[in-house]
Amino acid sequence: MVYIFTALYCEAQIFIRQFNLTKNLENTWFQEFQNEEAHIRLTVTGVGEIAAAAAVSSICSMYRPSQTDLLLNVGICAHTDKKDGIFLCNEIIEQATGKTFYPDMLYRHNFCEGTIVTGMLPWNSKKDTSNDLHHAKTDTHVGNLHDMEAAAVYQAGIHFFAPHQMNFLKIVSDNGNAAAVSREQAALLMETCQDSILDYITRIAALTQKNASRKSEPSVDEEQLFETFCADLHCSRAMRDSMKQYIRYLALSGMDYTGMIRELYEKKLLPCKDKKEGKQRFEEFKKRLF
Amino acid sequence: MKNLKKDYFNPFFSHIYVEKSVRNHARTQKILAKFPSARIIEIGHYKDVFCRSRQNLRLQHHSQKLILAARQGTLLYEGAPVCQRFGNEHFYYTSCAMNCVFDCEYCYLKGMYPSANIVVFVNLEDIFAEAERILEHHSLYLCVSYDTDLLALEPLIGYVQEWCDFASRHDHLTIEIRTKCASKTFVQHATPLPNVIYAYTISPQAVIEAFEHHTASLADRLSCAAGLMHAGCPVRLCFDPMIYMPGWKQHYQEMMDQVLCTIDVDKMLDISIGTFRISQDYLKNMRKQEPDSAVIWFPFQKDDGYCHYPDSLMEEMECFLTGQFSEKIGREKIFRWNV
Repeated sequence: MVYIFTALYCEAQIFIRQFNLTKNLENTWFQEFQNEEAHIRLTVTGVGEIAAAAAVSSICSMYRPSQTDLLLNVGICAHTDKKDGIFLCNEIIEQATGKTFYPDMLYRHNFCEGTIVTGMLPWNSKKDTSNDLHHAKTDTHVGNLHDMEAAAVYQAGIHFFAPHQMNFLKIVSDNGNAAAVSREQAALLMETCQDSILDYITRIAALTQKNASRKSEPSVDEEQLFETFCADLHCSRAMRDSMKQYIRYLALSGMDYTGMIRELYEKKLLPCKDKKEGKQRFEEFKKRLF
Repeated sequence: MKNLKKDYFNPFFSHIYVEKSVRNHARTQKILAKFPSARIIEIGHYKDVFCRSRQNLRLQHHSQKLILAARQGTLLYEGAPVCQRFGNEHFYYTSCAMNCVFDCEYCYLKGMYPSANIVVFVNLEDIFAEAERILEHHSLYLCVSYDTDLLALEPLIGYVQEWCDFASRHDHLTIEIRTKCASKTFVQHATPLPNVIYAYTISPQAVIEAFEHHTASLADRLSCAAGLMHAGCPVRLCFDPMIYMPGWKQHYQEMMDQVLCTIDVDKMLDISIGTFRISQDYLKNMRKQEPDSAVIWFPFQKDDGYCHYPDSLMEEMECFLTGQFSEKIGREKIFRWNV
């Protein structure tokens, strides 16, 4: 599942349209849109750090994302120098505290990369103080992105996602005069970038899914055999845990443990008549392995 | 080194995080010059990146980042109880780099560190100064490549050469450089010093292929060890950790045959033998990170906070190799960690 968080509805429209998302009417706290088949869940958080953190926490507590899931914070932002472009953030600075966060940059992409400063108010180039903060940290001036949510999304998201699962994609809309950007203009800007954003989401979601999947999950039949085996050995809780460990090792080593267990049944050594015999059989089983 | 990388990952050291305090350090400049295409991100402290919560080490190993920082606090540590001391009274180790370009599934670094990214401390001069301070009181046996593989990083940071230069000026210092790297270039240019020991971790090829990802083959490691011995360098072979896998005896026998074919055992400094053992806490972290790794999901025996193979298996494995070597070299040259 890809969890997309946008501050504004106009930033969400391309995803709603493209992925045929439908509104979840049961969620009355935030505007939530989803398509289970497309594995997309989008939330419009509202503007600002507190709204963003509240939405991320609420949604993630409700749906409990796993290692195969992805968080994407996407939306428009200001840039100190550039007038346009899509940026993937490799550094997120919270203006109020000076705290800095670093999403993992594991995968190749075609975007620019940059530092984003998250402030409580829209960045105003005429009253700029945030750049001083970044200058103080880096002594360099390469130009910064400015928004009002990224740092909050990261801080709330890190309770549920690993740093490589969180992506911050920002589209430059202005140079510090956010008031001049209308919702229609924002929606239009998102539309012009939609192909590359959607392509990125699809690719990264597939990679995250692929890289998080376990190679050696036991099948239903194997789990059933294990349960029967333990029951027929009259395993105590401790013995069962120990046996689980052995079975896991045997499976990972590519050894035919199901064959070994079946052989015990064929030789009529199982089921055991009591705990004592079960314990003895368990020790014999372990000895056979190493 | 990482040429088999799947192409959807960013390249090795695509991003280099540099502590602001060392941005203008000469070693920082020298290292950065080797990565002209890397994105440089300045950071306050290396832990801001290295110690983030919930990092996935398995994925990070596909696209490791470099962090350049200054080492603060303790610079030299006394060796841990599970480390082989080789009869040295003043046994220390130092971490001038943390983490490794290699990806051994059983490596304790995966349980010790919260990240797979590599930290290089550029203030080597402070570590040298601390070593000199200790040397004023007594001799020092120092392992410089414990929490990393310095030789594998040599083309990028040149620390082995710096340590060799330092050792050449201090007679009472002995350094050990532990490695799984087979750099023929380094071997060709190595200057033999009596107090610089090259310690090669030797494993059967089957173990290398199964668990020691990206490391040099057994043949290449042995060839480099032989080359250094031929040049007059003290060389130690470390059969430690010995790793259990089905058919282990045959694999270790084949390895022994290859060792004896390649290495003049009379010229070896010594050997160490020890089966895999690890702190229980590290193992717990490793299992969380590597749910599919057979080598760390072995049903270990736990004693005093350490996990190891069952006593009988441990004894059998270590005796097997000890017995083989006893016929070839003096007992005094064989070090078993738990004897």
